[in-house]
Amino acid sequence: MTAPAPRTGPVRAGPVRALRAEALKTLSVKTWWALLIPAALVALMINLFGGLFSAAIGGVSRDVPGVLLASLAYALALTSVFAGLHGVVLATAEFRHRTATTTYLLAGRAPTLLAKAASAAVVGAGYALVAAVVGAVGGLLGQGGGRLPSVGSLLAVAATGVAVCALWGVLGVALGTLLTNQVGAIVVLLGYVLAVENLLSMALRSGLDDGVDSGRSPGAVARLTSYLPANAGDVALYDLPARELGGRYSTAVVEGLAGVSAPPPGWGALLVLLVWAAAGVALAWVAGGRRDVT
Amino acid sequence: MTREPDGSAGPVGSAGGRGRLEVSGLVKRFGAVEAVRGLSFTVEPGAVTGFLGPNGSGKTTTLRALLGLVAPTAGSALVEGVPYVALPAPGRVVGAVLEAQGFHPARTARRHLRACAAAIGVDAARVDEVLALVALTEAADRPAGGFSLGMAQRLALATALLGDPRILVLDEPGNGLDPQGIAWLRDFLRRFAAAGKSVLVSSHQLAEIAQTADRLVVIRDGTCVYQGAREGLSGRPGVTVLCADPAALAAALAGRGVLEIDHLPGGGLAIAADPVLVGDTALAAGVAVYGMTERQGDLEAMFLRLTGGAG
Repeated sequence: MTAPAPRTGPVRAGPVRALRAEALKTLSVKTWWALLIPAALVALMINLFGGLFSAAIGGVSRDVPGVLLASLAYALALTSVFAGLHGVVLATAEFRHRTATTTYLLAGRAPTLLAKAASAAVVGAGYALVAAVVGAVGGLLGQGGGRLPSVGSLLAVAATGVAVCALWGVLGVALGTLLTNQVGAIVVLLGYVLAVENLLSMALRSGLDDGVDSGRSPGAVARLTSYLPANAGDVALYDLPARELGGRYSTAVVEGLAGVSAPPPGWGALLVLLVWAAAGVALAWVAGGRRDVT
Repeated sequence: MTREPDGSAGPVGSAGGRGRLEVSGLVKRFGAVEAVRGLSFTVEPGAVTGFLGPNGSGKTTTLRALLGLVAPTAGSALVEGVPYVALPAPGRVVGAVLEAQGFHPARTARRHLRACAAAIGVDAARVDEVLALVALTEAADRPAGGFSLGMAQRLALATALLGDPRILVLDEPGNGLDPQGIAWLRDFLRRFAAAGKSVLVSSHQLAEIAQTADRLVVIRDGTCVYQGAREGLSGRPGVTVLCADPAALAAALAGRGVLEIDHLPGGGLAIAADPVLVGDTALAAGVAVYGMTERQGDLEAMFLRLTGGAG
C-alpha cells in the first residue's frame, strides 16, 4: 500500500470552504450582472423622472426635500425584487443544471445553504448600492431644481436599501432551495411580490375605512399588513422619506406609500423582514436537509 | 461477519476501516416503490469492486445512500464507519461520479473545478493536474454546456479526483466514453486500486467491468444475490456431456447431489461437476457417453441466471 495522499492544503472549516466555492460560482456566470443592469436602469428612470413619482403620490410639491428620498426609496424597493430574483436563480440553478449532487457531495447541504444566502445577500447589497448611487445621481440631475435632502438622509435611505436588498437575496435563496424548480420559484416570487401581497393587504385592510380620515384606529387584522415581507421592506424604506415629506403625518404617508395600516417604525419593519429571512432559511434548512437528491 | 468466498486480501478492517464502505440491511422506499430491500455488502481497499445489476435493480439508489444524497428508510450505508455526511472533509475521502451529475452550461471546466477545489479545500493548482489527468487541458476554458457526453464524463471524473480521495464511487462511468476512453478508465481504476485505494464501480453490463473488477457485488430487485471474487461468480468449471439418455444421467447425478444441470439444445447436458464424477455416474447408471468436454466457468451465463435475465 502506498502512503496516503500528500496533498492537504490549508485546512478550512466547512462553511468557509462552501463560502469560497459559492463566491467563485456566483462570479463565474453572468446572472449577477444580467439582473443588475435592469435594476440600475429602473433606479435611474424613477429618480431621473421624479416628477412621475410625485405625480403618482399626488399633491406633493417637488420643492419638498423628501421627494428625492421617496423616489430613491421606491427605486430601492424595486431593486429588492431583483435581489430576490438573483437569490432564487442562485439556489435553483443547482437543480436546473443538476449540479446539486456535486455541490452537496463536496460542501454539504447546510454549509451550501448558508454560503448561498451570504452570496445572495452580498450581491443584493451590491444591487442596492448601485441603485442608490445611480438613483441619487439621476435624482439630482432630474429633480435638481428642488430642495436637496441632506447627505445624512440620503445615506440613511441607501443603507436601509442595502439591508432590505440583502435580506431579499437571502429570502430568494430560501425560496429557491424550497421549491428547486427555477421557473416555478421565479413565478412564485414575482407573483407574490407584485400581486399576491397587494391583494392580501387589500383583503386585510378591507374591514377598515381609511384609518386616518375616519379617526378610527386600525384593527389587529389590518395591522398585519405591515408584517408581510414585501410591505415590511417598503415600510423600512419609506420611513425616513415619509418623515421629511409628511412631517407629523408621516405615518399616513407611509401607509399610503406602502399600502399598510399602522406601520411599525422603520427599524422595526427591518427586523420583521429579518425574521422572515431567518424563517425562510430555517425552513429551507429543514426541508432541504431531508430531501432525497436523485 | 460477511460471507466472502474470496477471503479478500485487503486489510481486514473493523467497521471503521480506512477506505472501507459498508452497506448493511439497507432499505429504501420511494413512496410505494421499494428500490432497495435489505441490501448488505462491503467494499474493501486494494481492489476494484464491480457493482452489477440490471437497470432498476437499485444500484444508483444504493450509491446515493452511501453518499448521503438519499436517506435510508432502514439499515445503514457507511463510509469508513460513519455516514457520509459525518465525514469532516468528504471530498478528500470519497470521489464520486454519478449519473445525474451536471454542469452549469455557462461555466467553463476550469471555473467549475476551481469552485469545487474551494469547496474541498484543495489548492487551485490541483485543478490543472486533474485537467491534464483526464486530458481536458485544451478544453478547460470552454463552457461545459458545449461538451460532448464523453468530455462531460471526464470532467466529472476530474471533479471526483480533485481531493485526491482514497475511495472512488462510479455509477455507470462507461456511458458516453469512446473505446479508448473506456480502456483508459479501466487501466486507471486498476492502478488506483493497486495503490491500496478502494473502487466501487456500477454497471448493468457485465462485459463492461468483468475485466476490471476483482470482486463483484451482484444485486437483483434491491437485494444482494452474489458478493465475492469474480472467479467465484463464474461458477465451478464443469463439463458438457453428449450421452444416450440425458434424462437418466441427470436423474442419476441428482441422486449423487449434483443439481446444477442445464439441458442444452441438441440433447447435451451442461453439468457443474467434476468430469470424473460425471463419468463414474454415467457408467453406474448404464448411460452411454459419446463425448465429454471440460468447460471453464461462464461468467455471463451465471450473471444472467443470478439477475433473472436468462432466456
